Amino acid sequence: MAWTKEEEIRLRKVIKDSGVNLLKENLVQGTWGNTAVRLDEDHMLVTPTGLDYVALQPEDMPVVQISDTSVWSDGKKPTSERKIHAAIMADRPEINATIHSHPVWCSVLASARIELPVMSDEMKKLVGGPARVGAYGLPGTKTLKEGTVAAMKGRNACFMANHGVFCAGRDMDEAFEIIRVMERSCREYIKQCTLKITGQLEYSDELLFDYFVSKYGK
Amino acid sequence: MIDEKIKQTVLSYAAKIVAEGMNGKGDCIAMRTKDGFCVNEAGAALDGLKAENLIELPLDTDDKDYVVIARLFAKRSEVHAVLYTHAPFVCAVARAKATIPAVLDDMTQIVGLNCKTCRSATTDDLVKGLKKRNSVLVPGGGALTVGRTMDEAYTCALVLDKASHAYVCGSVLGGSKVINCIEAKLMNVIYQKKYSKANQQNISKREGE
Repeated sequence: MAWTKEEEIRLRKVIKDSGVNLLKENLVQGTWGNTAVRLDEDHMLVTPTGLDYVALQPEDMPVVQISDTSVWSDGKKPTSERKIHAAIMADRPEINATIHSHPVWCSVLASARIELPVMSDEMKKLVGGPARVGAYGLPGTKTLKEGTVAAMKGRNACFMANHGVFCAGRDMDEAFEIIRVMERSCREYIKQCTLKITGQLEYSDELLFDYFVSKYGK
Repeated sequence: MIDEKIKQTVLSYAAKIVAEGMNGKGDCIAMRTKDGFCVNEAGAALDGLKAENLIELPLDTDDKDYVVIARLFAKRSEVHAVLYTHAPFVCAVARAKATIPAVLDDMTQIVGLNCKTCRSATTDDLVKGLKKRNSVLVPGGGALTVGRTMDEAYTCALVLDKASHAYVCGSVLGGSKVINCIEAKLMNVIYQKKYSKANQQNISKREGE
């Protein structure tokens, strides 16, 4: 164990707060989504599987071995997506915090499986370039893990097809900045696409709804 | 007499629905009680809903405003909460009388393999539309959603709203890509039977059922 008890207590609180903050900022629904923080080069704390973020306590967060995620201790059963968090941490030594979630606007692009171009200097700085889409795979599968790792190469965020978004930062504050900029950028991109396809100059949800009904209405 | 914990659960989730902007005209929020179900009285909006606006009805009520809800509670013993909400993107799909396919994996888990707009707003069509599903769209209206707990029904309404965003916005992005039926079904079964079970049991106790 290459970390102190004090550091572990602090990071347990970081993980607990990250789950609550995802809910507060409307970046997740229910018990979906999970986060992780690095303890040392081969250990991380992650959120447990399928439990209410508000009710969870810092001591419920399990310690998971990065090199073999079947090995875990000191908490409740870890999220089934721990393999993705571990793969990113193993591949990227500078990454100390990761978030996987399903916020609304990121989910739209994940569902359309569309790469998000760079929408702002802030996105360029935080994400590192256009956000790619990882290959589709069922939750917890090797396909999903490998697709996410490939899409994250040289980036701090990517979409997971029909699933959500994955973000990685040097700490949890930075990971949150990244997920926020991804959500804002997706929203802006959808607005721009709506204006382009309708030929209008001013966006409104009604404009989008009318286009949708004209295309899909029965 | 409605249990105080149930009243508080209903009021707190009504406020959450309003905070998420999923409310509209004709909304309904209902929760199973020992003798029937607790529901907001007809015409009582979710915005500013108070304890005095809640009534309790038996499962065999013939009140036309509540007969769908009563039928759902009677027909599906696992259902403990029913919501009728009007999130704008959901209403756009209901206006188009379209079916939201399996566009997101959390949708397939909690809502079902898809979410149809039912043929009409009759009790039979609505109950039929909810077969093996937790949400159905009312043509020209909103979404009728059920859950094993109030928290699950609320989460289901949120996820349906997100799936509606994906489907509606997909129309300007070249279309949403749909998850294949077998994988969608597998995720639905795992969620209902395994992933969510412990959490729903904990929440059920908290909500006063």
